[in-house]
Amino acid sequence: MFEGLPQAFKQYGLDTDVRTLLLLRKSIKLGLIKTFGDLFATLKSIVVKEQKLLGPFTKAYYDYFLNIQIRPGERLDDAIRRSETFERWKEELLLEDPDLQAKDMTYFIDRFLSEVHLTQHDIKQILSGREILDQDNPDMLDRGGGNPSEGRILDRAADYSEIDMKELLERMEKVRRQQSDLHGGGSHWIGQGGISPYGFGGAAFGGIRVGGTGGGKMARKVIDDPRYFPVDLDKTIRDDNVDAALASLNGVIETSAQEELDIPVTITNGIKQGGLFLPEMKDIESEKMQILLLVDNGGYSMDPHIRSVTKLFRKMKTRFAHDLEVYYFHNTIYDEVYSDERRRLPYPIRKLVDHDPNYCLFIIGDAAMAPYELTPRSLESWNALKSKFKKIAWLNPEPISYWSHTLTTTYLSKLIPMYPLTPRGIERAVRKMNKASLRP
Amino acid sequence: MAEKKMWNGSDHYLCDQQLANAFHISRTLGMPLLIEGEPGTGKTELPLQYAKDRNLELFVYPVGSKSSVDQFVAKFDHVKYLRDSQIEVLNVQRQEKGLTKALSTSGRSTENLDDYVLLGPAAKAFSSPNSVLLIDEIDKAPREFPNDLLYALSHRKFVMPESGKIIEVSEDDMPTIVITSNREQELPTAFKGRCIYHYIDFPEPDTMLKIIEKHFPKAHKEVVDVAIEIFYHLRKLGLDRSPTTRELLNWLKYIKAFAKDEAVEKIKSLEGIGVLVKTQEDLEKVQHRLFGNSETDYGKRSNFN
Repeated sequence: MFEGLPQAFKQYGLDTDVRTLLLLRKSIKLGLIKTFGDLFATLKSIVVKEQKLLGPFTKAYYDYFLNIQIRPGERLDDAIRRSETFERWKEELLLEDPDLQAKDMTYFIDRFLSEVHLTQHDIKQILSGREILDQDNPDMLDRGGGNPSEGRILDRAADYSEIDMKELLERMEKVRRQQSDLHGGGSHWIGQGGISPYGFGGAAFGGIRVGGTGGGKMARKVIDDPRYFPVDLDKTIRDDNVDAALASLNGVIETSAQEELDIPVTITNGIKQGGLFLPEMKDIESEKMQILLLVDNGGYSMDPHIRSVTKLFRKMKTRFAHDLEVYYFHNTIYDEVYSDERRRLPYPIRKLVDHDPNYCLFIIGDAAMAPYELTPRSLESWNALKSKFKKIAWLNPEPISYWSHTLTTTYLSKLIPMYPLTPRGIERAVRKMNKASLRP
Repeated sequence: MAEKKMWNGSDHYLCDQQLANAFHISRTLGMPLLIEGEPGTGKTELPLQYAKDRNLELFVYPVGSKSSVDQFVAKFDHVKYLRDSQIEVLNVQRQEKGLTKALSTSGRSTENLDDYVLLGPAAKAFSSPNSVLLIDEIDKAPREFPNDLLYALSHRKFVMPESGKIIEVSEDDMPTIVITSNREQELPTAFKGRCIYHYIDFPEPDTMLKIIEKHFPKAHKEVVDVAIEIFYHLRKLGLDRSPTTRELLNWLKYIKAFAKDEAVEKIKSLEGIGVLVKTQEDLEKVQHRLFGNSETDYGKRSNFN
C-alpha cells in the first residue's frame, strides 16, 4: 500500500524511503491513523524534519493523495478551486444537499479543508463537546445539544471511529487511485467514501468549524508563507539565504567535550600522597573560532556579492563574537592586502602569515583576471598562505561551470581548494577544514 | 505499558493541537520528539508540564558545549575505584600492624564494577519505565554528541562503561523523550531521522492571549490587549532579535504591579522596554520607528561594529 509514496515525495525534495513506509505502517497498526487528517499529521511528523520542508511536504501531500497540484507561488485556495478533485467533491455535496447552493466559494473551500484535515482528535473533541464550548460563539451555546442535526453528526463521528481500520485504508488507497486516475471518472470522493464522517453527513455539518482551527489553517499558511520553502542551497549567497549559509559556517566552531589524563599532575600529586596515585583529569582545550577573510572587492564583477558576503560574516561575528579579521584585495595578492575597503591601508602578507596557524582562511573572489596578473610573486604569496594555514578555502561566487573557462581560476583552484559561494559550498569547505584540523 | 494517552496541555500549559498531535505520535511510536521553534515558545516547558500533570518521573539533561555521552548515559568513576582499591591495600597493611579499625569504602566493593558506574539522566530514565526524559538545547552540544546517541535511540539500549552491564527498555516502556533545539547548528540527518519533528510556530495573538491568561489569570483585559498589540508591533519591525513570549510575560509581570490605568500608560510609553528589546541597535530602531525620535544622536552613529 502506498508503494509509490517515497518516490513521489522525493520529487519534492523530501527524504522518504522504505523506512517511511514502515513507520507509516506501524503508525496505522498503533491506531494513529483513522482519518485523512491523521494521515497528514502523522506523515508530516515522520517526513518533515525541518521547518522549511513543511511547504514542499504540503505540496507533495496534496499532489499525491488529493491530486491537487499547487503551482509555484499559487495560494492553496486557488489550487483547490481549480482542481478536479474539489469540483467533484462539490458536485457530490450539492447533490446531497442542494440548499448549500447559496453558499459562497469560501464556505466550500473551508469545508473541503476541514474534511481533509479532520483528525480523530477533532472528532473526540467534538464528542466531548469541548470544541463547541471553546468556539466562543454564544449562538452555538444556545443551540447546544438541543439541535437534532448536531446530534446526528456526533453519532456519525462515533460510528466512524469504529470503522475497521483495514477496510478504511483499503478505501483510502482506492479513493486515492481514483482521484489520480482521471479516466476512472470515479463517483467517490474521499468524503463520500467515508474517510470523513461529515462527507456523507451533508446538511448536518452546519456551523461547526473543525479543521479550520488546525491542519487546514496550517496548510494554508504554509503554502502562502515563503518561510516554509527551502532556500536554494545551491544558489549564490544572497540576502535570502544568508541564514542558511550562516548555519553551515557554524560548523567551523570547534568545540570539544573531552577530558584527558593529566599525567604530570597525577605523578606529582601521587608522590606527594605517598604513592597514592589518583588520576587527575584536564579538559582538552576547546579551540576558538578564528577567521581570516580575504575579499576581492575590486572590479564590478564582484560588487553584487560583496554586500551579502560581508553581511554574512558580520552576522556571524555579532552572533558568536570571535576573532574575525577582514582584508581586501583586487584580483590577486602580491606582497600585501588592505585592511580597509578602499584599499588604502596596506597590510603585508608576512604579517598575515604571522597569525596562529589555527585560523581559518576564507578567500572570496572570482579568481578571474588577466593571466599576466598572476605573477610568480603573487603565486608565492598564495603559496605562503596555503602552507601556513591548513584550513584554507576559496569561495567563488561564479557558477562552477564557468571556472574552467578562465585560466587563472583553473590554476588557482588547483592551488587552493575552491568551493562555490553557496550555502552548500560553504558547508563543504567547512567540513574539509574540520578534517584538516584533526590532529594525528 | 507506558503512558500513551493523548495529552492536550494542562491548566498551566497551553498546548496547541498540532504540538499535542506530534507529541502523541512520538509517544505512540516510541520515538523522541524533536522540538524546534523560536526561543520562548515553550519548548522546554512541554515535558516539564507533562511530567507534572501526569505525575511521571522526570529526568533533565541540559546540554552544553561540554556535554558528552559520559555525562548523559553513565560514567565510570575511576577516582573512586582507584581510591577503594588502594584502601584495600592500606587495610591489609593496617591489619598487619595490628590496627583493628579498617578504612571504609562505603559499602562499595572493587569486585563489583557496577558500584563505580555513575548513572546519567539517560541511563536513569531508561531504567525507570514510563518516565520523561528532556534533552534540552541539543544544538549546543559538540558535533559528535547527537551521533553518539543514535544506537541508543534506535535499539533502546545503553551499555555501561567498564562493567558492561546493559540497560535496556522495551518499546512499550520507552521513556517519553523530548529534545529541544534552537537551531544554532544543524543536527545530523541520521539523528533527525530517528526523531519525530515538530516546529512550534510563533503563537498568533489570540493564542498569546490564552497563554497570558494561563500565567496571569487576574490581569486586566485592557492591559493585556494593549501589551499584546505593542508586542506584535515590535515583532513586525524586523528587529535583529524579536521579542519572545517569555519576555512579554516578564514585561507583564513588571507592569501588573501597577493599577490598570497606570499600567496601560506605562505600556504605551514602553516603560521597561529593556525587557523586550535587548540590543542597542534594536532599541534605536524602536525609538526611531515608534516615536520618530531623532533628537537623540543614536541615528547618527554608524551601524558598523
